[in-house]
Amino acid sequence: MKSSLVAQAVILAAFALLPAAGEAIYFRDKISWRSAIAPSEMVTVEQAREWGNTAIWVDARPDDDFANDHVPGAISLNEDRWNELLPQFLAAWTPGKKTVVYCSSLSCNASREVAHRLRKDAQLSDVFVLEGGWEAWLKKKNR
Amino acid sequence: MKETSNAQRPTPNVERSEHPTSGVERSALNVGRFLWRILDFVVAGIFIYAGVLKAIDPVQFASDIDNYKLLPWPVSVAIAFYLPWLEIFCALGLVFRFLYRGALSILSASIVVFTLATIAAKARGLDITCGCFGHASQHWSFPAHLATNLAILAGLLALLFKTTSRNRVQNSV
Repeated sequence: MKSSLVAQAVILAAFALLPAAGEAIYFRDKISWRSAIAPSEMVTVEQAREWGNTAIWVDARPDDDFANDHVPGAISLNEDRWNELLPQFLAAWTPGKKTVVYCSSLSCNASREVAHRLRKDAQLSDVFVLEGGWEAWLKKKNR
Repeated sequence: MKETSNAQRPTPNVERSEHPTSGVERSALNVGRFLWRILDFVVAGIFIYAGVLKAIDPVQFASDIDNYKLLPWPVSVAIAFYLPWLEIFCALGLVFRFLYRGALSILSASIVVFTLATIAAKARGLDITCGCFGHASQHWSFPAHLATNLAILAGLLALLFKTTSRNRVQNSV
């Protein structure tokens, strides 16, 4: 009886593999297996710099980090004070501008979450996450 | 010709209890079976709903899994593609009574794992969405989340216990 239960579970597990594989192929451009951010939603420091004034920088780090230092011209917008800071960001944003969101480093999630909310809640397009975040900016700012 | 004595002949006691002669007994048995089937459908419905919501937005579900901070990102992606379909297939197994015990076991195990992961996340101070029911569960409180999971687990364990005990009776005949 025990073996038949295991066999049943294995058969079901095998059945589920097929549609899962199909879905993985279907969504291959929308999700990256290497990073939580889709490749089309990432931007490097060099690319973002090339955009110049057509880009607006958003600092998704906590208030203290922003107060300490930030990308010149960046606007603070973090999830802790989302409702308070969003109107300030929207006042600075103009249609056609690209939004570059960054947090501390490659492993932080804040920029991804803020970018996601800007797309979903504020209905903005052209929202990008800075690859490597603030750390990458610091490394490359003088180059 | 070899004769078998009456004492050696098998007595169909179990058969008699499985097919009650009394109309009252029979209708009570039918009501019981009907209620168990309702529970099958309720549990299956919950998992089909949860599975479909996650299957149509695997990107969000992968992000929800990643928020638990328990697994590397590629594993979260693999689970986001695989788990919804496993839930749907197992739920269909409950509806059509196909690979029934295997389906119950997988669903019970998955709800236990999700509940433990949620408790662990709460203990580590992570304020996250479980992703269990897509965006529908985004604003659920931790107690509501836990109560729902435990209620589903209770339903699954009741069904598992029922089918296991019935099989044991059949095997002993």
